[in-house]
Amino acid sequence: MEPYARGRRLVRDQPGLVVVAVAALLLVGDLIGKLTGGGLTPARFGGFVWDGLVIGLLIGLAGIGLSLTYSILGFANFAHGDYISWGAFSGWAVAYLLAGIDRYAAGGLLLIGAGDGPAPGDVGVSITNTPLSIVAGLVVAVAFTVGVSLLVDRVVYRPIREADGITLLIASIGVAFALRYLIVFFFYSGRQGVTDISRVPSYDIGGVVINAHELTIVVVGLALMVGVHLLLQRTKLGKAMRAMADNRDLAQVTGIPVEGVIRTTWILGGGLAGAAGYLVVLTQGTIAYDLGWLLLLLIFAAVIMGGIGSVYGAIVGGLVIGLASRLSLIWLTGDLSSFAEPVAFGLMIFVLLFRPEGIFGGVSTA
Amino acid sequence: MSEITATTEVTTYDDSLLSVRSLDAGYGDLQILEHVDLDVADGEYVTIVGPNGAGKSTVMKSVFGLTTYMGGDIEFDGEAIEGLRPEEIIHHGIGYVPQSDNVFPSLSVEENLEMGAYILDNVPDDAMQAVYDRFPILEERRGQKAGTMSGGQQQMLAMGRALMLDPDLLLLDEPSAGLAPDLVEDMFDRIDRINDDGTAILMVEQNAKQALRRCDRSYVLVQGKNRYEEDGDALLNDPEVRKQFLGG
Repeated sequence: MEPYARGRRLVRDQPGLVVVAVAALLLVGDLIGKLTGGGLTPARFGGFVWDGLVIGLLIGLAGIGLSLTYSILGFANFAHGDYISWGAFSGWAVAYLLAGIDRYAAGGLLLIGAGDGPAPGDVGVSITNTPLSIVAGLVVAVAFTVGVSLLVDRVVYRPIREADGITLLIASIGVAFALRYLIVFFFYSGRQGVTDISRVPSYDIGGVVINAHELTIVVVGLALMVGVHLLLQRTKLGKAMRAMADNRDLAQVTGIPVEGVIRTTWILGGGLAGAAGYLVVLTQGTIAYDLGWLLLLLIFAAVIMGGIGSVYGAIVGGLVIGLASRLSLIWLTGDLSSFAEPVAFGLMIFVLLFRPEGIFGGVSTA
Repeated sequence: MSEITATTEVTTYDDSLLSVRSLDAGYGDLQILEHVDLDVADGEYVTIVGPNGAGKSTVMKSVFGLTTYMGGDIEFDGEAIEGLRPEEIIHHGIGYVPQSDNVFPSLSVEENLEMGAYILDNVPDDAMQAVYDRFPILEERRGQKAGTMSGGQQQMLAMGRALMLDPDLLLLDEPSAGLAPDLVEDMFDRIDRINDDGTAILMVEQNAKQALRRCDRSYVLVQGKNRYEEDGDALLNDPEVRKQFLGG
C-alpha cells in the first residue's frame, strides 16, 4: 500500500510533474521503438546528438559571458548577441585576409567577400586548408570583441553604473542596435557563405559523421570552459569575481577593486562571446549581421534555464537547449522541423515551472 | 565648538588613533549626522549606543567612507581620511564588519578569508592561521560554503575576514544582531580577546547594557548628535542615561 499511497500523493500534489513524466516516458518509449523498429537508424540518432552537442556547446560558451555580466553587473545585457556577431565578423575578416592575401586584394578579403569580392570557394578557408588563418581569426575575434565590450562599458554602462537593472537593460538594447547596424554599414546585410568545406575531412565514428570543423569547435569550446572554471575557482581574480557576484557592497568594503573586477568580467564575457561567434560561423559555414541576435534568444533560454548568474548553469543549460532543439527533429519532420527552436523554449518553460530558480540557481553564483 | 558643548557633554581627546571632529554626513541629500565628535585611542574599546535611528551605524559607515561626506574632519593615525573611498581607507589599517550580509555566501570559508587579504599580493599564511587559532570552528569548516553556516559562525567568519589585514582599528556594526541569546555572551568574549590582543575597537551595539559593561568608553548618540560621552560603567550607572536609553 505504501508505494500506492505515495503515488497518489504525488498525483495530487504535483499533477504537472506527473504529466511531464508520463510525456517524457512516452517519448523515450517511442524513441526506443523507432530505434529498434528501424524507423530511426542509430547513426541518424547519433548525428542528432552530435549536432546538439556542438550547438549546445556554443550556446553555453556564449552564455557564460551573459551570465557573468548579469551576476556581477546586475543587468541582462541585450547587446551580448551583437558582441557575438562582431566576434564573427572581425575574426573571419582576418582569417580571410590571411588565407587569400597572396591571390586577392586586401579590401575584398577584409570585407569577407562583400559585393564582388572573392567567393568563399575561391579563398578556400578551412581548418585543414588554412589552419593558421583560422587560428589567427579566432585570436582576433576574441581580442576585438574584448575591445568592443570594454569600449561599450566605458562609454555607455560605466556612467550609469549605479542605475537600476531596467535602465541598463534598455541602454543595452540601444547598444545592440548600434553594433548590429555598424556591421551592416561595414559589411553587408544578407547571409553569405564563408568557409569552404569541400576539402574538410570528416570521420565516421559508428556511423556518425563528424567533420573537422565540428571537432575544432568541441575542442576549443571545452578548453575555454575548463579555462573559465579554473580561473573562477583557482585564481584570486576569479574568486574576486565570484565574491562580487555574491555581494558587491561587501566586496567593496573588503578592498576588492570593484572597477577592476568589472573590467575583467567584460574581458572574459566579451572574449568568450567573440570566440563563440567565430566558431558558430565555422559550423554553419555562413555569416550574417544578425547571427548573434538570433542566437541570443537561445542563449537567454539556456542561461535562464541553468539559473541566471550561474556559469555552470549556462553551460548545462546550453547543452540541454542544443540537444533538445536537435533531438526534437526526430519527431518534427518535414514542415514541422522549423519548430525545433520553440521546442527548446518549451523545455525551458517546463524546467522553470518546476524549478523557478533554474537548474543551478541558488546553488552557487558565478 | 561652543554650540556643541552647549547641548552635549562630549569631551574630545588629543593624540587619539581615530579622531572625528564636527562630522556632518548622510546619504545623498539627507543629512543624518550633525557635528559628531568621537575619539578612539590606540588599543581602546569604544562603543556607540543610542535609540534606533540615531545614526549609530552611520557614524561607522562615515568613518569607512560609505556615506556622503558633508563636512568636518576624520583623522586616522595622523592622516586625514575623510572623503576617501573604502578601498583606500582599508589600506590605512581600518577593518569594517557590516551588520548583515557580511560574508560571501557562495565562497568557502577559506576563500572568504583570502578575500579579506585581497589588497596584499599574497595571502599571508600566518594571518590565516591567526584567524583559525582565534576561531577554530572556521578551520574545521575551511572548505564549507559560508552561506551554509549558522549565524554565529558567519559572524566569526566576517570578523576573521576583517582581521586578515591585522587592522589597528576594527569597526563592528551590531555584532550580536541576529544571534541566538546563548551565543551573544560568547561573541562579546571573543571581541574582548581581539581587543586584549591590541586591536582598537569601535562598536555599534543595540544590546546597550552588554556594550557598556564591556567597553572602555562609550558615546550615546541621539538624533545624529552625540549626547553623552563617558566611561562605560559610568554611563551604565548614570540615572538619566538609564532612564532614557537602557529602559530604567
